[in-house]
Amino acid sequence: MDSRLLLLLIILPLTGGVLNACFGCRLPRQMRALLAISSVLASFVLTLICWPLAADGGTQVTLFTWLKSSGLQADIGLFFDPLAASMTLMVTGVASLIHIYAAGYMEYEEDQARFFALLNLFVFAMLCILLADNLLLLFLGWEGVGFCSYGLIGFWYQKKENALAGRKAFIVTRIGDLFFTIALLWLFALLGTVNIAEINLRATELDPLLITPLVLLLLGGACGKSAQLPLMTWLPDAMAGPTPVSALIHAATMVTAGVYLLCRLFPLVSLSSVGMATIACIGAATALYAASCALEQREIKRVLAYSTMSQIGYMFMAVGVGSVAAAINHLLVHAFFKALLFMGAGALIHLAGGENDIFKMGGLKQKNPFLFWLFLIGILCLAGAPLTGGFFSKDAILLTAFSRGDGLSAILWGVGVFTAGLTSFYSFRLLYLVFFGDYRGDKSAHHLSPLLIWTLPLLALLGLFGGLINLPHFYGGSEMLSHWLGVAPALELPLPTEIGLLALMTLFFVAGWLPAHLFYRKYQPEAETPWRRFLLQGWRFDALYERVILQPYRFVANFCWIGGDKALIDGVIEGIGRTLLHWGGYFRQLATGQVSFYLQGFAWGLLLMLGWLLLKAVT
Amino acid sequence: MTFVSLTELPILSLILWLPLAGTLLCLLFRHSNFACRWLALLTTGAVLVLAICLFVGLPTAPGWLIREDYAWIPTFGIRYSLALDGISLLLVSLTAVLQVAAVLISWKQKEHPALFYALVLLLETGIIGVFLATDLILFYLFWELMLIPMLFLIGVWGHGNRVYAALKFFFFTLAGSLCMLLAIITLYLIHGEQSGIYSFALESLMQTQLSPGIEMLLYGGFLLAFVVKVPLFPFHTWLPDAHTEAPAAGSVDLAGLLLKTGIYGLIRFAFPLFPHAAQQSLPLLAVLALIGIFYAAWIAYVQTDVKRVVAYSSVAHMGFVILGLAAWNQLAWEGALLLMVNHGVTTGGLFILIAMLQDRTGSRDLRALGGMWKTLPFFSAFFLLFCLASLGLPGLSNFAGEILVLLGAFGRWPVFAALAAAGVIFSAAYMLRVVQGVLWGPLGQLCKIGDKDCLHEDLDRREWLLLIPLALLVVWLGIYPTTILEPLRGPISLLLQGGGLP
Amino acid sequence: MIVPFHHLLVLATLLFLLGLMAVLVRRNLIMILIGVEIMLNAAGLVLVGASALWQQIDGQVLVIFLMALTSAEVSISLAMVVYLNRRKKTVDVRAFDELRG
Repeated sequence: MDSRLLLLLIILPLTGGVLNACFGCRLPRQMRALLAISSVLASFVLTLICWPLAADGGTQVTLFTWLKSSGLQADIGLFFDPLAASMTLMVTGVASLIHIYAAGYMEYEEDQARFFALLNLFVFAMLCILLADNLLLLFLGWEGVGFCSYGLIGFWYQKKENALAGRKAFIVTRIGDLFFTIALLWLFALLGTVNIAEINLRATELDPLLITPLVLLLLGGACGKSAQLPLMTWLPDAMAGPTPVSALIHAATMVTAGVYLLCRLFPLVSLSSVGMATIACIGAATALYAASCALEQREIKRVLAYSTMSQIGYMFMAVGVGSVAAAINHLLVHAFFKALLFMGAGALIHLAGGENDIFKMGGLKQKNPFLFWLFLIGILCLAGAPLTGGFFSKDAILLTAFSRGDGLSAILWGVGVFTAGLTSFYSFRLLYLVFFGDYRGDKSAHHLSPLLIWTLPLLALLGLFGGLINLPHFYGGSEMLSHWLGVAPALELPLPTEIGLLALMTLFFVAGWLPAHLFYRKYQPEAETPWRRFLLQGWRFDALYERVILQPYRFVANFCWIGGDKALIDGVIEGIGRTLLHWGGYFRQLATGQVSFYLQGFAWGLLLMLGWLLLKAVT
Repeated sequence: MTFVSLTELPILSLILWLPLAGTLLCLLFRHSNFACRWLALLTTGAVLVLAICLFVGLPTAPGWLIREDYAWIPTFGIRYSLALDGISLLLVSLTAVLQVAAVLISWKQKEHPALFYALVLLLETGIIGVFLATDLILFYLFWELMLIPMLFLIGVWGHGNRVYAALKFFFFTLAGSLCMLLAIITLYLIHGEQSGIYSFALESLMQTQLSPGIEMLLYGGFLLAFVVKVPLFPFHTWLPDAHTEAPAAGSVDLAGLLLKTGIYGLIRFAFPLFPHAAQQSLPLLAVLALIGIFYAAWIAYVQTDVKRVVAYSSVAHMGFVILGLAAWNQLAWEGALLLMVNHGVTTGGLFILIAMLQDRTGSRDLRALGGMWKTLPFFSAFFLLFCLASLGLPGLSNFAGEILVLLGAFGRWPVFAALAAAGVIFSAAYMLRVVQGVLWGPLGQLCKIGDKDCLHEDLDRREWLLLIPLALLVVWLGIYPTTILEPLRGPISLLLQGGGLP
Repeated sequence: MIVPFHHLLVLATLLFLLGLMAVLVRRNLIMILIGVEIMLNAAGLVLVGASALWQQIDGQVLVIFLMALTSAEVSISLAMVVYLNRRKKTVDVRAFDELRG
């Protein structure tokens, strides 16, 4: 097979996006959506066609040289290996479904062209991240998804908050990108290359002392993109964007880019035990933090946003405890069921007449039972109900943590298990509040396009059976994904331990579900307590950052301007000018405008000179 | 056009004096607004065609590609010598492009159009002269020639506080360049005493043996002239005022070209003439550049005038360029020069867009503007594109330069480069603030008087013609910077080898 | 030479000083112009004298030039005086101080 086909993978969405951006406003309405959908769908089909290329160490292909200077060579080059292939398949697949969904969701919007152009460009940039064979191209995708996310969060730009949320997302993720950039610069300075495969290969040459800071820098980049502590504040706000965007960018694909980056550079990352431990700790901390915040959220999409953050925390933990396969497995399954949940949430919001608040929903089960069953599947996967995809993937992560046996891993495992219980609780809280009881809202349902429903079943199936991708031997599986990715399969634990852990997980699932069932099955208004507000506002991190970072920043900026530029530099310069003017004022009086006065001076001067000459002649 | 037929013509003189001829013709036809503006367009267009011919037709070699050398004032050893290498070729081409844009953006000039176009064309001669001259007196002549049209462009056609801005610009740069003149003459005399041949030619003066103290002093004179023009912190305060008050064409020329003459002067004259002093000054330059990057970015963040934000962003970008030069290696220099060209295109484009915005709404105040995407979607799309390019989005022009600078600088000053990378965040902060203030949000309060419901006209044909090539350039330079890096490689490696010249 | 050169020099100096005093002290434009003429003539006198002393023709040539120039200058300056008089209705030099700093 011609390996150049791979290039089409990224070129197709790019073309779709550019065409929509440049000529979208001239195209008929349906054409815009059709163009966008067909380009992504074609990419998806192409991924399937190119699948064999990923085997045997992968295929490398170059389009042209992007940047070339002494020692630096960055190509527009793709590297299609099992890891990239599985991610690409997931991204193009989910993206195709979401594009179709979006065609229904955005049916009556103005500015469709802008929406689909950005969506397509997003897919292009995401594929750049996945397929790039060098860090610079990866960075192009990395920033590209950031921009598309910025544009799409603020898609309804006329409301100021939306555009501000977009800006916040862009800048906060860019803080993470700074660390990534520094890591990139450093790697280039040390190894003289930006090629990913080469960096991985030569990682062992590096001074072990340098690897830890490098890994921490990479982690910083990953944290920004994947909304992990402490750079997580942008994700809940990002829910201001249209729901298909939240489903695609802020649940399934872009936010997992950080995990992918760490997996991509795993040979380098795994060399630093401190770095790995930090990754795992950050993951676990975020998982717990986000789950606690999700407990008290009122907006349906914010609950899901915090749950996304929490699940990505699990993926970080998986990378941190050394299991790429578990991380990728959870990533894939999570992408399916979270996209399902978000798309379902979009349909629910339409059903509730544009209402976001789950306390003003309720009773939607009667309105659309089919949607309820689909959503239930998503919730079960998220909560980790036994035998769903989410259960297996999460279990694999926790098992890996448990099997390592050291103290830190034990703590991580404990946090993970506890968080799983919390997850189960808030998932069912969401489900009960939205679907059960009576309808509490006052808005009438919008028209629900069939596209909004019929894109979901496929995702539901994938979520439900996603566990089969990497089913451990214990359950009679063969760990397909581990083999495919070429990483070591999970450790085998003694049978009683396995069963014990399984029981424990189930126990925590039930322990989360039971209180939710008791409290929320029948709706009762909640009193607002400070504790609730604290969780609702995400532990008030926003206020903290405002006080610690933004206010000092503005102060320094104003100080530089007023104090530095205006007072100091201009003050000195204008002071010189004023002094000269002052003295000039005295000299000015010599210019009387009378010729005879000037000539007098001339004559006196002449006399002086003559006198001097005379004096010289005499002596 | 082939290389041979190009060299048969005195093409450098042609490209240099064509705008001056245009100036004279403009003054001749000063009563016809129509004739003047078409004359200006034709002249700048002809220069652009010549520049493109040169760019396409010349091979990429390290040394001088074309030279012209005649005796001019033999008594003092002053020669009329022009020379073109890859770097000057690139800058001349940039000049040609931006001057066409400058003429097109001031197409509807109503006050004294003849004089306006004449000055714009005169400015072009001055700038091209700076990029071509290799005789120090000739260089100085053009250096000062740039100043005067710019002074009048700001002072006569500028906005509110124009006279203050014009004078500030004039005195800052004049103070710097007088120091340079002193240094030039001193160097000339020292060289004359040493060798017995009194000459202002760059090649001869480079042979001068200087004691370290004298070298540092003379280098200081040159440096002052150039860093004021660049401008480097803390000599930058003329720039925000000048940029803000200048008319559109003036801002485009200032940001796109005049700043570049400072950088060009550094690498063509200051560094090669005084290599030892240059090496010693690099840490200082790096520190000042770094301060400039942060300082300007911070200040840009609290500005409310769009033009002022862009002006401060220029200071920050020039900080990157200087940081690249201070790193003194091939990678960083290529990045610095690339960034310089990219910055010219993006900032030029931004000033053009701001002028269009001001035409339509009568305001540049971020607090009053807003929601432009609703009324001016095409304009807004271009505005977004150029803002993104300016904040360094990969795939658009500025990124390529910035990352090369950072990669190169990291090899020499790791901490500085890492800090400078943080400057990129700040540039995102202020640029997105501009985008937020202009494009998003509810529709702004400001309407031009007489407009119904604030419906502004979107781009007309002339504006499309102006913006599309610039936008294409921004994208092209972002994804295929090799176009520019190729001709730069040879000359840069020559300049880096102990400041050697072709 | 019938007159000793010294006498001539003294006379020329006196003439020159007289002219100078006229320019410096008088306030009337026409008087100032006359002062200028007197100074020029003083210079011319020295030239003629020197020419006679050294038997060189150059000095006399110069004086003829000087006379031609002087007449041209006088015609222009008188025209200007007329113009100025018309503008300000006076020939007092104190009225014309627009160049005062």
